[in-house]
Amino acid sequence: MRNRMFWLLAVSLIAFTALIVRTAYIQLSIGSELTEKAEELWGRSIPAQPERGFIKDRNGTVLVGNKHTSSVYVIPAQIEDAQTAARKLATILNEKESVLLERMTKRSSIERLQSRGRNLSVETARQVTKLQLKGVWVGEDSIRDYVLNERLAHVIGFTGVDNQGLAGIEAYYDKKLAGTAGSVQMYTDAKGEKMPGMADSYIPPENGMDLQLTIDAKIQAVVERELDNAEKMYKPEGAMAIAMDPNSGEILAMSSRPSYNPSSFGDYDPDVYNRNLPVWSTFEPGSTFKIITLAAALEEKKVDLDQEHFHDPGYVVVNGTRLRCWKRGGHGHQTFLEVVENSCNPGFVEMGSRLGEKTLFQYIRKFGFGQKTGIDLYGEGTGILFTEQSAGPVEDATTAFGQGVAVTPIQQVTAVSAAVNGGILYRPYVAMNWTDPKTGKVMIENEPKKVRRVVSEETSSEVRRALESVVAKGTGRNAFVEGYRIGGKTGTAQKAKDGRYLENNHIVSFIAVAPSNDPKVVIYTAIDNPKGTVQFGGTVVAPIVGKMMADVLPLLGVKPQKNQIEKEKTWNDPDMIEVPNLVGLTKQELKEQLINVDIEIEGSGETVASQSPSAGVKVERGSKVRVLLK
Amino acid sequence: MLVLLLTGSGLFMVASAGEVWGQFNYENPFYFFQRQAFFAAIGLITMAGVSYVDYRVWKKIARPLLLLAFFLLITVLIPGIGMVRNGSQSWIGVGSLSFQPSELMKIALIFYLSVLLSERKTVIHLFWKGLFKPLFVLGMAFGLIMLQPDLGTAAVMGGTAFLLLFIAGARIRFFVMTGLSALGGLAILIASAPYRMKRITAYLDPWSDPLGSGFQIIQSLYAVGPGGLFGHGYGESRQKYYYLPEPQTDFIFAIWAEETGFIGAVFIITLFFLLIWRGIHIGMRTQDSFAALLVCGITAMISLQSFINLGVVIGLMPVTGVTLPFLSYGGSSLTMTLASAGIVLGISRLKG
Repeated sequence: MRNRMFWLLAVSLIAFTALIVRTAYIQLSIGSELTEKAEELWGRSIPAQPERGFIKDRNGTVLVGNKHTSSVYVIPAQIEDAQTAARKLATILNEKESVLLERMTKRSSIERLQSRGRNLSVETARQVTKLQLKGVWVGEDSIRDYVLNERLAHVIGFTGVDNQGLAGIEAYYDKKLAGTAGSVQMYTDAKGEKMPGMADSYIPPENGMDLQLTIDAKIQAVVERELDNAEKMYKPEGAMAIAMDPNSGEILAMSSRPSYNPSSFGDYDPDVYNRNLPVWSTFEPGSTFKIITLAAALEEKKVDLDQEHFHDPGYVVVNGTRLRCWKRGGHGHQTFLEVVENSCNPGFVEMGSRLGEKTLFQYIRKFGFGQKTGIDLYGEGTGILFTEQSAGPVEDATTAFGQGVAVTPIQQVTAVSAAVNGGILYRPYVAMNWTDPKTGKVMIENEPKKVRRVVSEETSSEVRRALESVVAKGTGRNAFVEGYRIGGKTGTAQKAKDGRYLENNHIVSFIAVAPSNDPKVVIYTAIDNPKGTVQFGGTVVAPIVGKMMADVLPLLGVKPQKNQIEKEKTWNDPDMIEVPNLVGLTKQELKEQLINVDIEIEGSGETVASQSPSAGVKVERGSKVRVLLK
Repeated sequence: MLVLLLTGSGLFMVASAGEVWGQFNYENPFYFFQRQAFFAAIGLITMAGVSYVDYRVWKKIARPLLLLAFFLLITVLIPGIGMVRNGSQSWIGVGSLSFQPSELMKIALIFYLSVLLSERKTVIHLFWKGLFKPLFVLGMAFGLIMLQPDLGTAAVMGGTAFLLLFIAGARIRFFVMTGLSALGGLAILIASAPYRMKRITAYLDPWSDPLGSGFQIIQSLYAVGPGGLFGHGYGESRQKYYYLPEPQTDFIFAIWAEETGFIGAVFIITLFFLLIWRGIHIGMRTQDSFAALLVCGITAMISLQSFINLGVVIGLMPVTGVTLPFLSYGGSSLTMTLASAGIVLGISRLKG
């Protein structure tokens, strides 16, 4: 029996040692962890909202700021007489008593009043404070100030009632912009009353960082202006534009129509604010896609633009299917450069077939089609490509001139940028850097990201020459700007619905690059179903892009050049001549000038002191040139 | 001496732990303290008195006491007589003066088994002749308590009985067999009342259901953990502010550990161990086998109960609702424990 008792003692020694070990583990090892969790339980915190970071353009212009307001919080457990408190507060806030009473008696640790209790004026806030109601607190907070209104709305996005990013950049970079909330911490017991003997603590909020975008507000303004005009003129279903620096992937401007005002996004159809068309929409690119086929054919040395010729009878028969050229009767005999200028479909089918299915699709993928570009915006589309398995010879042929594939505008812009910038595909982005809101010091710098080399420098240079030719002599001539070397390509795509093409309903587009010798910007613009016009990219969009280029290039510091490819005249093109140098000529000599300008003489001297426009500027034949005599 | 220290600590802690709930329920922060002090006084007097009673008296009253305990256990189950608290019909009495018959049964069974086993010393290795009767009585008592239901008390009682059988010399093979069948029984019990399974899963991972079955364990850990090495200081508990249910009874050790820290916790655990050591020491010294069994039975009961309670508080065991001897608030349990300590004292005085 003693033996057994001894065993019992030994076992209890082990058991009680285990108790001590476990206690040591809880109190000494995981104690601090438990304390943290427990403090969350004891603490009621009145949030001290951080200031959301500003959004600026690349030059520091503020695009989104903050407005300061006050709002009312209630801590139900601390309210002594909810009825009276609700009544008093109701008169000041102009809110229903029952609504307030419901909030005040809710089983929750802290309640922020809705609508009427927010965005208070200074006067109202003071009145609430004056009431000195127990459990009613006035908190400072700030709301977003969208100074651009409808402009750039899809890129910027908007925030919800609690300043949380819900769309666009505001959502994508919500964490960094939002900062960390601080708080005034009070310790309370399980019934919500203040716990005796515990000190309150204050944690200051940490403001969000300021975000500088790659967007240039001035370029954006030009783009928006042109889209405004286009919307007025053509009443389209939608319109979109992207301007990108081809050498880095920085987005300089982006616009999506119809647009909305971020301050009142609730008044719009969600489809309007959810669809940032330049990244979201997926449609048949049409002829702009031919740039890809061209670049691939050049890189693989399957075509010589100047030496080789091609005869276009107006159609091409592939595997028994007759694919027509857009021009009835065809373009006849032409060099391959002219094939590009004329956007001749059979010519591109030829290039495609020389490449072969496998190589063509390889290039399409290398240029980034069929996958997201990875731009830092939500809602990007992937596009639809034929797979090698599903594509037959007909599909291969149509793909070569941009039909039967579906791509997003941003994919086209990045791909064309790669084709013209020397051959490197970049990932597009809109967030340039993050700065400390107090010091303005750059904290995080986003570097351009090279995805891969797609074609060689030489190929790229040939593509640029061909595109400049398109604008000077071909289907893109409406985008021609005197003095600037612009290359471009039209696109007219039929819209498909329920597996069938719609009649007289096209997305017309134009993609342009300038200056062609050293590209600084690629601008893409598309208009969805323009009314009252021939639905053709060269007619509708090329002039829009031309006007954009005319204003954007000076903003980028690009000087006018002289050695551009001369524009080929058509019957309806104005005849452009260079203004001769008239300074220093006498009155007599002036009369003897055999020039086609209308000279207007001012002043009463004998020799020409100055002239306007100055020598070398191109003007329409018969324009006025004013000279000042002295 | 040890008993006094423990009871003192208990009073001390009931004063602090009961403060908030006392204020809330009775508008008197010292409600629990006053009552506990009153029962402690009664208990200590009883202990002193009992220690002068000749232990042979216990032998004589063992059988009648067992019958009384059975009678009360049946009575408490009659609707209208027994009172339901926290889901168990365990209390009998009027108003705030009530007690649990199961407390009486625990001590009565120890008496009875000590008598029976000391008489059967020579046949204890035989099952039918030696073990059947004590097991039958235990089974009856266990079943009645489980009808209340009060798994904690039933487990302490059952465990004590088995420890007694062990000390009395039952074969190891028997314990292996019962251990296996107990596992089976446990499975049936759990299957019959799903809340038991919840308690067990809560013990394994209290955070899986923080507001339901894991609530008590989490709240308990929130008290013990932040205590750290030295604790918040006496009276500075936070968890007693309505977070932890029953801070003055089942979870008094949590508040103790919160206020006095690891040092205080080790102090209490050590006191309990010393108490066990003293108890077994007395048992080993005692010549009379009835007296020795009685001492060991009481010691086993106190040690099991304290081990289970401490284990629950620090999350080593599922929540069972067992009070901590000497420390927890509660009249019947405190007087009973002190009285049984008196019996041990009396026996130790025998040869001392």
